[in-house]
Amino acid sequence: MAARNNNRRDRRNRRRRRERYKSKKLGVMGILILLAFAGLSVRLVMITTEDHDEYLKKVLSQQKYDSKTLPFKRGMITDRNGTILAVSEKVYNVVLDCKVMLAYEGSTQPTVNALVESFGLDRAAIMDYIEAKPNSQYYVLKKHLSYEEVQAFETMEAMNENIHGVWFEEEYIRNYPNGVLACDVIGFTGSDNNGTFGLEEYYNDELNGTNGREYGYVNDDSNVERTTVAAVDGYTLQSTIDANMQSIVEKYVIQFNEEHKDYYREGLGSKNTGCIIMNIHTGEILAMASYPNYDLNNPKDLSAYYSQEEIDTMIEEETYYETLNQLWRNFCISDTYEPGSTAKALTLATGLETGKIQGNESYECPGYHTVADTTMKCNLRRGHGVLDVSGSLEQSCNVAFMKMAESIGENQILRFENIFNLGLKTNIDLVGESRTDALIYNEDSMRSVELATTSFGQGFNVSMIQMISAYSSIVNGGYYYEPHVVNKIMNSAGATVENIEPRVLKQTISNTTSEQMLEYLNAVVAEGTGKTARPAGYAIGGKTGTAEKVPRDKTNYVVSFIGHAPADDPQIAIYVVIDEPNEEEQDHAYYATGIVRNILTEVLPYMHIIKTEEMTVAEQQEVEQVLGAGAYYVVDSQTGELVDALTGEEAERNDSYLGEGTVQ
Amino acid sequence: MRERQSRRREVNKGENGHFDFVLLIVVLFLVAFGLLMIYSASSYKAGLDYGDPAFFLKKQLLSTVIGLVALVITVRIPYRFWKELDIWICLVGILVIPLVKIPGLGVTANGATRWLDLKVVTVQPAEITKLCMIIYMAAVIAKLGKKVRTTAGLALAFVPPAIAAILIYAVTKNLSSAIIVLGIAVAMLFVALPDYKVFVIAGISVVAVVVGVVLYAVGADDVESFRLVRVQAWLHPEDFSTDRAFQTLQSLYAIGSGGIWGKGLGQSMQKMGFLPEAQNDMIFSILCEELGLFGAMAVILLFIVLIWSCMIIANNTEDLFGALLVVGVMAHFAIQVILNIGVVTNTIPNTGITLPFISYGGSSVVLLLIEIGLVLNVSRGMRE
Repeated sequence: MAARNNNRRDRRNRRRRRERYKSKKLGVMGILILLAFAGLSVRLVMITTEDHDEYLKKVLSQQKYDSKTLPFKRGMITDRNGTILAVSEKVYNVVLDCKVMLAYEGSTQPTVNALVESFGLDRAAIMDYIEAKPNSQYYVLKKHLSYEEVQAFETMEAMNENIHGVWFEEEYIRNYPNGVLACDVIGFTGSDNNGTFGLEEYYNDELNGTNGREYGYVNDDSNVERTTVAAVDGYTLQSTIDANMQSIVEKYVIQFNEEHKDYYREGLGSKNTGCIIMNIHTGEILAMASYPNYDLNNPKDLSAYYSQEEIDTMIEEETYYETLNQLWRNFCISDTYEPGSTAKALTLATGLETGKIQGNESYECPGYHTVADTTMKCNLRRGHGVLDVSGSLEQSCNVAFMKMAESIGENQILRFENIFNLGLKTNIDLVGESRTDALIYNEDSMRSVELATTSFGQGFNVSMIQMISAYSSIVNGGYYYEPHVVNKIMNSAGATVENIEPRVLKQTISNTTSEQMLEYLNAVVAEGTGKTARPAGYAIGGKTGTAEKVPRDKTNYVVSFIGHAPADDPQIAIYVVIDEPNEEEQDHAYYATGIVRNILTEVLPYMHIIKTEEMTVAEQQEVEQVLGAGAYYVVDSQTGELVDALTGEEAERNDSYLGEGTVQ
Repeated sequence: MRERQSRRREVNKGENGHFDFVLLIVVLFLVAFGLLMIYSASSYKAGLDYGDPAFFLKKQLLSTVIGLVALVITVRIPYRFWKELDIWICLVGILVIPLVKIPGLGVTANGATRWLDLKVVTVQPAEITKLCMIIYMAAVIAKLGKKVRTTAGLALAFVPPAIAAILIYAVTKNLSSAIIVLGIAVAMLFVALPDYKVFVIAGISVVAVVVGVVLYAVGADDVESFRLVRVQAWLHPEDFSTDRAFQTLQSLYAIGSGGIWGKGLGQSMQKMGFLPEAQNDMIFSILCEELGLFGAMAVILLFIVLIWSCMIIANNTEDLFGALLVVGVMAHFAIQVILNIGVVTNTIPNTGITLPFISYGGSSVVLLLIEIGLVLNVSRGMRE
């Protein structure tokens, strides 16, 4: 028993001893741990108090304040009826982030499959790239995708959760839905939002908006906050151009040039052909076209006019951009030429306005006229005989006009050139209007010979826009309107920001003179050289022009016709200029009058201008043919008379683009 | 007779309670707080990289639930059950490590193969080894009794964990886990043996080696070795700000910029891509940045309470096996917390050690909760 007790005591003592040192050791360990914690706490206190300011600065300086640009949308350009001529479209670039994709196990195959399926990409190329650059985070697979295309992929992504690492970058590209239509007026814009030529350049600032930003900043509590300032989209321009009239004009300008391509000499149907239609009561440009034209969606494409070898040569000889610039420039405002006989309208108006010509004069034309020892021939070699004032204009007699100019005098001729704005810019809202102040005579350079040539439009240069603006004032009662191409500027929500009202700059001639001029000009088409310009069913007025180009070797000519329609109550002015038509004999104004006639045959019915002249059966058939099989007739509800012929589509439109008091 | 009675009394006492609720509450609080911090630290990057800000939170939440279930099960199994399985547990602890080398089973990430792919979850075998070694050593030392002081006894207790540590370092290149396993082993031996001399000598020699290496690293001009560069980066983080010491510096910036009261929960700037592994090894710096010195101290205090609770349980458990189990767990927690905070404050060279319960890591939280389950089970048998 005792032994057992001893034994038990021993065991208990052993255990106690063990527990004594166990407790002691645990205590030592606890102290060591506490010491370690104390040491670390001291370290933490040091870092958080002593280094606080310095490290806070480091952290703040590491933050990304750089901002992300949110692109604005460049404004649209529409025609006067809202037809879109230029629009910026949001497109998407598909970007692959290999790193993210590879971070997900088994996502490579489904992702690549979806990409190949949605965007028709080359599978091998993608796999090679992933293999070569597994850490790449920005690999643009395809650019300029539409929203629909992107949506197809996104649907796939939503269905399959194994698709990773694909995102879409947004961008805007400029699209011209009508391609070549009004290319010279519109101009074009690349992805940099910088317009080149035309409205795109002239109204660049209005069309462009302000980029939005997403950026970070440090607030009062030293916290970085991110803020988004939304982009402000650019303004929309409503042009004065009527897309339908513009396409009619272009159709016939191109038609002429196609017909004359390689006709006499190798090359284009003419060096240049331009046409402007203007509302004479507002100065609005309704159509403005020139040939050669180019595709706004692909402005650097010269393949329509040159072979690849020629283009290569141009690039080598560094004339490539020169050629492109020639193509892009707007002939109607940038090029100058001697106007020829169309200027006789200005000469006659000057004479009537100054009172130097009363209208009852008569001139004898022997076929030539000598001024200061220089003999100048009339356009009719054998002479026109005796002509009255109206006859002089009808027959476009140079001799008669030289005589008129002599009686008007240099001073008045020069003064009225200035009044008609020749030598000055019209300030049309387009880029590239030519400067002509050095291209006309002044008091020092104008002698009697120069006076004589000026009378029939040779020896000085004008641009088309100058001529049609001056002409409009002659037939509209003497009001010189500043020509313009934009009617209205609207913000992206469609609210009007600015209305561009017609601006009368000056009174060129009096109302009476204007009325008198109208009579003379109408007679030119009715009886004289302009007969071929008259469209069936209408009476119009105008003046032809055939200007001999320098060198004066009777080979190259600028032929033109400037006119107004309808004859009695003019609404529009039309001006067609053909620079060096591709013909053996270029000096025939009927190249230009033919185009005018074709254009007006379609444009006047489109404008709801009532036919005033009787048509022969042949003419009626011709009109029907031109206006198409769908043409139907509008019958006046009161009189039951046939008043108009319209195509179904055009009848839908009832826009009064000539302002108040036009066609009823 | 009385012994048997007292035995029965102990068991009865255990079943009736004396359950350490303070420890359980501290642990639950740390786990919940850990989830919050993981979400705060990882949501930005997870949103960017995975399109789901809660990506890491969800995974950790799943692991936590598994861990809590494991904890409940462990609490219900009397801890003595494990004592008889010591050899098997030891074998598991050692053999689980080379499994990562089996193709199809091992998972490689960030250039190291440290995980096992069990299809449903990935497991870090080193975490399992830690637990196995704690159980094995406690069992062996308790069984050996006095014989543990002999060379053979020491070898029997210390060689298996040493092998495990070497394997962890050799196979998975995981120096920190190897250090932790060794550290736990040393701590358990320290408590089990009455000696001081050996440990003091061992401690001094370790310090001497460390100082020697540091001096060598400082002296060497052209340091090519990875470890030596690490030492240099530790001493002069500013010189290695773009590569080796980038993480360390960013961590210091985070802690320093937080100041005393922090920027507020969720307001960390460093987690936005500047501090790598923000939800992982470096989560303590994000904690400091957001909650400041105040928050950091509160967390440290919680860990001290946890460790202190373990100490009390170990001290008051008569059964040597139970006491040593608790000592092992306590050492595990203490070593990891100290090393982790040491790394983020650049007090010691950078080595990947996670902060228990707070850092992201599935295996870690499951195994740590099992360890807590063991401790709680032991606490039921505590002497009053």
